[in-house]
Amino acid sequence: MNSQDIAPLGPDAPVILEMRHISKSFGAVTALVDASIRLHRGEVLALVGDNGAGKSTLIKILSGFHQPDRGSIILNGKEAHFASPRDARANGIETVYQDLALIGDLSIFHNMFLGREYHKRMLGLNLLDNAKMRDLAVEYLKTMEISIPSVNSTVDLLSGGQRQCVAVARSIYSSPTILVLDEPLAALGVREGGQVLGLIQNLRRQRSVSIILIVHNYNQVFEVCDRINFLHSGGIVLDASTTETSEEELIHIVKSGLGGQAIPDAAAEVGAGPA
Amino acid sequence: MSPKLEPKKEQTAPTIEPSLATTRQAGVKTPSTILERLLFILSRYREASIAAVAVALVVYFQIGSHGQFIETQFLGVVFRDTGRFGLIAVAEAMLMITAEIDLSVGSTFALAPYTMGLLSVTWGVPLAVGALVGVALCVLVGVVNGVITVRFRVPSLITTVGTLFFVQGIVVSIYNSQPIMTPVEEPFNEFFGESLYNPRADALFSWHSLSAFSPVLWAILVVAVMSVVLNRTTFGLHTIATGSNPIGAREIGVRTDRIKVYNFMIAGGLAGFAGIINTLQFSSADPAAGAGFLNLEAIAAAVIGGTSLLGGSGTAVGALIGAFVVATLNNGLVMIGAQATVSDIFLGAGILAAMMLNVQVDRLRTRRRL
Repeated sequence: MNSQDIAPLGPDAPVILEMRHISKSFGAVTALVDASIRLHRGEVLALVGDNGAGKSTLIKILSGFHQPDRGSIILNGKEAHFASPRDARANGIETVYQDLALIGDLSIFHNMFLGREYHKRMLGLNLLDNAKMRDLAVEYLKTMEISIPSVNSTVDLLSGGQRQCVAVARSIYSSPTILVLDEPLAALGVREGGQVLGLIQNLRRQRSVSIILIVHNYNQVFEVCDRINFLHSGGIVLDASTTETSEEELIHIVKSGLGGQAIPDAAAEVGAGPA
Repeated sequence: MSPKLEPKKEQTAPTIEPSLATTRQAGVKTPSTILERLLFILSRYREASIAAVAVALVVYFQIGSHGQFIETQFLGVVFRDTGRFGLIAVAEAMLMITAEIDLSVGSTFALAPYTMGLLSVTWGVPLAVGALVGVALCVLVGVVNGVITVRFRVPSLITTVGTLFFVQGIVVSIYNSQPIMTPVEEPFNEFFGESLYNPRADALFSWHSLSAFSPVLWAILVVAVMSVVLNRTTFGLHTIATGSNPIGAREIGVRTDRIKVYNFMIAGGLAGFAGIINTLQFSSADPAAGAGFLNLEAIAAAVIGGTSLLGGSGTAVGALIGAFVVATLNNGLVMIGAQATVSDIFLGAGILAAMMLNVQVDRLRTRRRL
């Protein structure tokens, strides 16, 4: 996982997504207050915050699960409204949720093509083209450098890291413009997390898909992302570029605070974290 | 795991061994001990293991009955029951793969032939037409089961107990709970097995024996179709997905509610079809034909055949072999001179053993990835 071989994102990379002044309340609970983020083409953006900071709400608005009370989503320069997850998906936004939505009793290749199966006609019947799906899955996982025992094995035989990789691969297969990964490192050990980070790094190298990573702790993802946004109490409190800010500088900013105001969640994490 | 506490290892700096990382990728360990290997084979070829049990039972009863089991009409009875249980067990297996269950098959089994008989004696409707109407009504019961289960979020165990009594009540009260004698209409009756096969009198390859075996042949045909449906169609794939991970399947775009309703319809239709076959055998439609333990015997057959009650796994072939085991136990024990009631003891023990084995095999399968 070496970031040296990855060229920094050019300053002229176009903005592909903007979420402007998003506010959202659930009854008496205010989840987001005037939160704005932007994402460039090919960029990997980490969204960091503690539980309740509002990152899930922000992402669920982007993926069409929730509608914002105020604010707008600008996709490729045009205002977009997502009434449902289907809408967001149709607009090229794929989300890999924490539960991964993999089917344990089905093979990896069936999981890859679930909901978009290939068929062939045999004896007038519309049957699954398992051979084609198997071959495509093998080829595709190979190009993504994901190592799994066999595409025939069922998903419940895979490790957590492998599952995460298969779920990401499935989402990438429909060539989305934006990929949202919800807590991809949660519940993974160091080695398994490494597998997932390696995959993200590969995608970042190709710069063909823009990625939003939702994480608890920015230390884990510093190496694989271009920018980090800190979310606290429903708003973005710090927007830091990993190419212009070193990890040490970031720790300093987080600890000493920004403009006299400390960044509570992040500071707490730095205090507790291994860094 | 040894109960002895391991001495605490010295804390060293966490280093990632590359060798460990590569073995980890393999995911599946190769079986080492004999027990592991046996369970591995069982988990791979579950149908084969239950088929071995079936063969063993036949051998046991053949010896126990002094060579009567295979050579008399008993075999015909066993096959007829296998067909009857098998048709329902397959449908039950499909439903159980979606993590639902249907107990109302006990009354749809009576509804279809009773409708057929009633239409025939009151309006002279041909049996074939009456049978279609009867099966269609059973499919409708399946729709009701499905919609109540998925829309009103009533567990299917409760929904189908409700429709079990409801439909049974209608069938019994509609004609003063009188059995209806149905006419014999050839070739319709022959197609669905009106006579029993007698190895001593009938040639094996004859129209008569084909007719005699037709219930089990129909069951085999349905099982073949359902195997293709389950393994080679989108519907089958989505059926497995629905039971294996309902939330995940919905997130990825599987219409889990619809899949469940369709499977309830299949269960209703096949139970009705099995009831028609059963009635044509005796030319009498009994309003209480499915009362007793028919629904539970079909579920037992599916479970013995390797279907998990938790959803996600099961096969049509396994359900049919399970049906053969249930039918053999039911008839064979009587054959060798045991009290009819004793067979329930063996059936009960068989279900418990099969279920414990299923759970153990599944646990082993998922634990092996660690």
